[in-house]
Amino acid sequence: MTLWRLEWLRLVRSRRLVALVGVYAFFGLLGPVTARYMSEIIERFGGGVQVIFPDPVPSDGIAQYLGNVAQIGLLVAVLVAAGALVIDAVPEMSIFLRTRVSSVRQLLVPRVAVVTAAVCGAYLVGLGLAWYETVVLLGAVPIGGMALGLLLQWLYLVFVVALVAAVGTRTSSVVGAVGWSVVVLLALPIFGIVEAIGRWLPSHLVGAQVGLLGTAGPGEFVPAAVVTCAVATGLFVIATRAGEAREL
Amino acid sequence: MISTRGLVKRYRGVPALDGVDLEVPAGSVYGLVGPNGAGKTTLLSILAGLRSADEGSVAISVNRSQVAVLPDAPRFERWLTGREVVELARGLAAGPTRSASAVLDEAGLGDAADRSVGGYSRGMLQRLGLAATVVSNPAVLLLDEPASALDPVGRRETLDLVRRLRGEATVVFSSHILADVQEVSDRIGVLDAGRLLFQGSAESLLGGDDGSIFEVRVRSGADRVATALRGEPWVTGLTAVDDRRLRVHATSTGDAERALLPALVATGVPVISVTPVAPSLEDVFLELTR
Repeated sequence: MTLWRLEWLRLVRSRRLVALVGVYAFFGLLGPVTARYMSEIIERFGGGVQVIFPDPVPSDGIAQYLGNVAQIGLLVAVLVAAGALVIDAVPEMSIFLRTRVSSVRQLLVPRVAVVTAAVCGAYLVGLGLAWYETVVLLGAVPIGGMALGLLLQWLYLVFVVALVAAVGTRTSSVVGAVGWSVVVLLALPIFGIVEAIGRWLPSHLVGAQVGLLGTAGPGEFVPAAVVTCAVATGLFVIATRAGEAREL
Repeated sequence: MISTRGLVKRYRGVPALDGVDLEVPAGSVYGLVGPNGAGKTTLLSILAGLRSADEGSVAISVNRSQVAVLPDAPRFERWLTGREVVELARGLAAGPTRSASAVLDEAGLGDAADRSVGGYSRGMLQRLGLAATVVSNPAVLLLDEPASALDPVGRRETLDLVRRLRGEATVVFSSHILADVQEVSDRIGVLDAGRLLFQGSAESLLGGDDGSIFEVRVRSGADRVATALRGEPWVTGLTAVDDRRLRVHATSTGDAERALLPALVATGVPVISVTPVAPSLEDVFLELTR
C-alpha cells in the first residue's frame, strides 16, 4: 500500500469520484440539449410567453456546459479537493501519516496529483459528452480550439487544486478550506472586470474553452496562462511550507 | 537514547512543560505518569516531532524514521480495512518490517483484518494502532495511553507486548493506570503541571529517600501513642487509620527501627503489632503531586 493508492482508494471508496464525474457528465449531457432546445423549453414552460432566440450555433453547446460546470462543477471539485488536502482535518489520522513520512511534501504530492487528475478527468468526460452532443445536435466545432481550450481549462483546474492545498494546510477545517477557496475563486472574476488586469488572472482561462471556438486567438490567453503556472507553483510551495510549520 | 534538556512549551503564555530534563536509556521501558493536563501528551508530541519546544533541546539517538507514535485515540480512514492500514504503515517504513498478518494476529485482529475500519470499536482501533506501530520494527515507540480504551484482556495483551519490546526497542508510554506503569516500566517519570517531579526506577520511587512508613496496631490508647510520637524528632507525619491503628511516617527506615519500639514501650500502651508499610505507586504519586 502506497500513498498514491491511498488517494485513489479515497476517491473510489468514498464515492467522491462518482460524484465528481457524475456532475460533470450530467452537465456535459445537459448543456448542448438546453442550447439546442432553449426556445422550445421556454415556450413550453414560459406560460405562453414567446421568446425569440437566435439560432443556436455549435459553440453554444460548449458554452452551456461550461456555464454550468464553472459554478456547480467547480464547487464539487473544491469539495473533493478539500476532503483530501486538509491533511490535519482529523489530527489522529494526520499523526499516523505525518510521523511516517520525512516531509509534508511526501504527503501532499500524491494528494494534489490524484485530485488534479480526477478533476481534470471529470472535466474531460463532461466535455467529451458535450462535444459529442454538440456535433449531433448543433454541428461540428473546431478540434484545434477545443483541444487548446481543454489544456487551458485544465491549467485553471490545477490552479484551483493548488489554491485548495494552500488554504487546506493552514486550517484543520474542511468547511473553512472550502469557504476561503470559494471566496478567492469568486473574487478573481470580480477583479477581472478591470480589463487591464483581467487578462492576467487565472479566471480569464475559464473563457478560453468557448473563446477559442470563436474569434479569440491563443495569444489572448498567454498572459493568464503564464501567471496561472507561476501562481499554482507558488501556492504548492506555500502549501508545503504551511504544512511543515503546522503543529498538531 | 532519548534525552531532553530544559524543555519548555507554552500555550498562550501558560507553561505546559517547564524545564523538563528527560533521560530514557536505550532499550528501556519508560512510564510517564501524571494527572490530566500534566503535559504528558505535549512531551510525547515534542519527542515525536509533531510540536516544537519554545526552549530547550531534544536528542534522540536514532533517525526520525525509526520513531513510531501511537496517539491515545487512534483513528484511520473508515473505508480502509485493518490489513490495509497495517500494509500502509509497512509501505511507509524505512527499514525491514514484520508481516502484517503476524502483527494483526498479535493484536487480536486476525479475524477482523479484512473488515472496514469504520466498523471497529475504540478498543479495536487502539489494537490496530498498536499493530500499525510495531509492524515497522521501530527503534523508539512513543505510546500515549496505549491501553486506555481496552478491556482487561486487551490491556493485559498490550502490557505483555510492551514488556516483550524491552531490550528490542526503547518505549516511552504514558498512562493514568499506575499499576500498569509500575508493572512494565524500568524507569518512571512523574510529571505534574509541566514539571518532572521524579525520574528513576520504580524501586527508588517507592522505597527511596523520602522516608518510610510503619503501621502500629494497639489494643487501646491510640490517641496516647499519637500524642507521644508527635513529639519525636524522627516522626515526619502521623495518620490515624482507625481508633486502633496509626501510620507513622519516619525520616528514614533506620531512624524508625531504632526509635519506634522504645517510644512505644515508653507510652505503656499494649502494642499488638508494628508492620512496615510498602507504599504503592499511587501513594507516592499522590504525595508527589499534592
